[in-house]
Amino acid sequence: MGKKKFTMEKRHNLTGWVFLSFGVILICWTSFYPMIQAFILSLQSGLGVNLKFGGFSNYARILKDPTFKGTLFNTFFYLIIQVPIMLTLALILASILNNKDLKFKGLWRTCIFLPCATSLVSYSMIFRSLFANDGLINTFLRNLGMNPVMWFANAWTARFVIILALIWRWTGYNMVFYLSGLQNIDYSVYEAARIDGANARQTLFKITIPLLKPTILLTTITSTNGTLQLFDESLNLTNGGPGKSTMTMSHYIYNTSFVQSPNFGYAAAMSIVILVMVAILAILQMKVGDER
Amino acid sequence: MNFKKVLACVLAGTMVFSMGAVMTAGAASEEDNKLTVWTWDPNFNIYAINKAAEIYAQDHEGFTVEVTEIQSDDIESKITTAVNAGDLSTLPDIFLMQDNSFQKYTTFYPDVFTDLTESGIDFSQFSEAKVAYSTLEGVNYGVPFDNGAVVNCVRTDLLEQAGFTVDDFTDITWSDYMEKAKVVLEKTGLPLLTAQAGSPDMIMMMLQSCGASLFNEDGTGNIAGNEVLKQCVNNYAQMVADGTLVEVTDWDQYISSLNSSTVVSTFNGCWIMASIQAAEDQSGKWAITNMPRLDDVENASNYSNNGGSSWAICSNCQHVDLAVDFLNSTFAGSTALYDDVISKGALATWAPAGESDAYNVPVDFYGGDTVYAKIVDFATKTPSNATGAFYYDARDAVGVALSNITQTGADVDAELEAAQETLDFSMGV
Amino acid sequence: MSKGKKFGMYLFLIIFSLLSIFPLYYMACAATNMSVDVSRGRLIPGTYLIENFKTLIANQDLFRALWNSFRNSAVLTLLCLLICSLAGYGFEIYHDKAKDIVFTILLTAMMVPFAAIMIPMFRMFSKLKMVNTMAAFMLPSISTPFMIMMFRQASRSFPKDIIEAARVDGLSEVGIFFRMFVPTMKSTYSAALIITFMNAWNNYMWPKIILQTNDSITMPMLVSNLLGGYTVDYGMLMLGVFICTIPTAIIFFFFQKSFTEGITGAVK
Repeated sequence: MGKKKFTMEKRHNLTGWVFLSFGVILICWTSFYPMIQAFILSLQSGLGVNLKFGGFSNYARILKDPTFKGTLFNTFFYLIIQVPIMLTLALILASILNNKDLKFKGLWRTCIFLPCATSLVSYSMIFRSLFANDGLINTFLRNLGMNPVMWFANAWTARFVIILALIWRWTGYNMVFYLSGLQNIDYSVYEAARIDGANARQTLFKITIPLLKPTILLTTITSTNGTLQLFDESLNLTNGGPGKSTMTMSHYIYNTSFVQSPNFGYAAAMSIVILVMVAILAILQMKVGDER
Repeated sequence: MNFKKVLACVLAGTMVFSMGAVMTAGAASEEDNKLTVWTWDPNFNIYAINKAAEIYAQDHEGFTVEVTEIQSDDIESKITTAVNAGDLSTLPDIFLMQDNSFQKYTTFYPDVFTDLTESGIDFSQFSEAKVAYSTLEGVNYGVPFDNGAVVNCVRTDLLEQAGFTVDDFTDITWSDYMEKAKVVLEKTGLPLLTAQAGSPDMIMMMLQSCGASLFNEDGTGNIAGNEVLKQCVNNYAQMVADGTLVEVTDWDQYISSLNSSTVVSTFNGCWIMASIQAAEDQSGKWAITNMPRLDDVENASNYSNNGGSSWAICSNCQHVDLAVDFLNSTFAGSTALYDDVISKGALATWAPAGESDAYNVPVDFYGGDTVYAKIVDFATKTPSNATGAFYYDARDAVGVALSNITQTGADVDAELEAAQETLDFSMGV
Repeated sequence: MSKGKKFGMYLFLIIFSLLSIFPLYYMACAATNMSVDVSRGRLIPGTYLIENFKTLIANQDLFRALWNSFRNSAVLTLLCLLICSLAGYGFEIYHDKAKDIVFTILLTAMMVPFAAIMIPMFRMFSKLKMVNTMAAFMLPSISTPFMIMMFRQASRSFPKDIIEAARVDGLSEVGIFFRMFVPTMKSTYSAALIITFMNAWNNYMWPKIILQTNDSITMPMLVSNLLGGYTVDYGMLMLGVFICTIPTAIIFFFFQKSFTEGITGAVK
């Protein structure tokens, strides 16, 4: 019997490997292979196609680059402010929308999801015109008797607009994961809690959050990753300005490769640095959030 | 409906389509009388190249062009990608490139281009400043196309309120211009200019109007201690401080200011006229003149350039002779072509085209002025300057300096010093 | 729930929804106005819709772009759901130390900025003579660590005793996956479908590099073409953007229904 059990386990183990092999092989081919190429590239220096082996000179260059430091600061600033606000909002919205008695659920959900379906072009145009010097927001402020703010002229207000835009665009996206995660929690658990007299806040902290933990981990890792690789908003909303005070790391990498004189080795080196930073954060988050 | 069934049906259906798609892709035609072209804007460049093909086909039966619409940035990134991947076979026979990018690409990726110096195209018939963009170390890589001559577009009705006419803004100096701007602001309550914040376009136009640039003859950066640049930046910052130049957040807001009468004038490449003309109700209220010239600067002129592009033949082209002959007999040899594309606002830099009747037609929108002939004249007077391979790096650095100066009142010398350092950092690899 | 609380809840939802749909309203208005009115900031619907539509289809191959985008996104989404759910299930249900380590390594694959691997990837596909093929467009996004993780996390709530029971009943491992897991995880599949479809639909950077013919134009490429000229026709642009937004919204609307249905079938 013991022997049979052992082979059963072995067989299941093997089945598991077969199941995940398709996905893993594809990722190795389309992500890891180019990633290794990028690493090799990061050891080469030069402009255009005139590359030669430069060892770690590109990494040394990062340390001397004030623009990189500025973009690093911006990116982490967005991360620290935006991710917690956005995820909390998404969680609150998801638990409201999961309420059995709520009417027009489909409508609310679709409305709240819409921002992330909206094309980047229109949404950046709209945000820019809303926050323009004589835009809607400033008209509103003027009517309240306050001084209008030149939102895009000042580094901090421009960063604020970017964070606002990010929250606006991605809250609905994260809400989708929470909603689908909430479906895997049996409703009877909530019924029981209500009978026990638990209030909304207790339900949230004692039931929803613990049971949604795997999903919360997922969204935290992807939002962290998404923010550290933030590119679209920086390019389309502010184009990094004023000056380079709202530019993100990915935007700078893109510029280094395709806008300014092409320095691919340096761009690759900066990418590897981002990779390492995100990986460390992800591993930390996995350690904290992935215990079974 | 059953979820699984829907899934299965859609899956099966789409798989069949995808198979079909994979099978048909990659079946390239091998016709000898066809050229592939990458360019952008159906109402401008695409229209022009198709028109050129039509004209060329009259004497060359069966000739066609296959145009793929690709934005200029995307053409550039595709070229970059293809070269770095070592596979030029994915590139077209002919592509259009922004003049400002030409130096960068010919410097870093010379293998992409076909040398046109000895091709038989007469480059002397184009304006000198224009040809300079696509020339690197005496080698011609591009056939000039549209004109980016700077025009100063002014609202005559608003100027009148301030007691001025167009003539008061013609052939003037910057100091004169800035004083008149204050009067305009006082009388009409409107700024004379609007500009996209953080964009150094205006500075670049001012620099070129006296043949100056951000680079020295030897290609090194010339930002710190560049007196001409300093004067440009100071003028700009002064106008912002006076309130006669209002910075807007982005390009859309800039266009909006022109269309909605919240600004009295603008100067930019002549292609801006198409956007101005979109406001049909303002017909007759606009006029065209030249831009102000810098005070006390050697070679200062009232003429400059912004934008414009040129055609290049890819080194991968299988029919170089055909491509050269095509460009030579159209963009460098057909007044009929330029007479036609003028309807789209595309103006020639090819001198013989400017003598044609089509260029001397009065345009009602600009009060019946013969604006096209005027612009061709501007173009020929435009000084040429060095753009260089690091044009965008330098431009970016100056943009940062400019926004620090106007927004936070930073010291001009210190900011230009910092910009120089940024540029040197990019160049010092 | 008390009346006041209920009121508060609805008020919160209404405000949030209004903020969310405002841009859509703006787009819809702009799509019915002339370019010059759009840039003057007109915020009420106009009468120029038909003209904008005419200019749009005269300038751009709208129907081809719509079809291409739809076809690409649909095929990609279905392949992605199949492969990623299989992998996520494999990682979780048969999990052991080795698989957890492989998974953590896998996660790093989503952390490289795309700009960095674009060129190596292009080189790879151009060597395989796959430039301009749909396969080259799809392959990099069929299997993503993100989707695998999503299914891995969701599998955690899939009751293990069902699996044991099914095994006793003599169902094969593949059978358990398709007959028990797939129908049960409807809401997860719906969420994954919505997200993958949306990402595929809006994907711009990679297709613009790998697809280079007019025939393979997608909606985001079309929208970017509308922005490319010296003059932008804002009415036409917004109409294009609007048309580009609608399909994702429709997909969402249809598939979000499964979020209300909860766990069904096998589990009960």
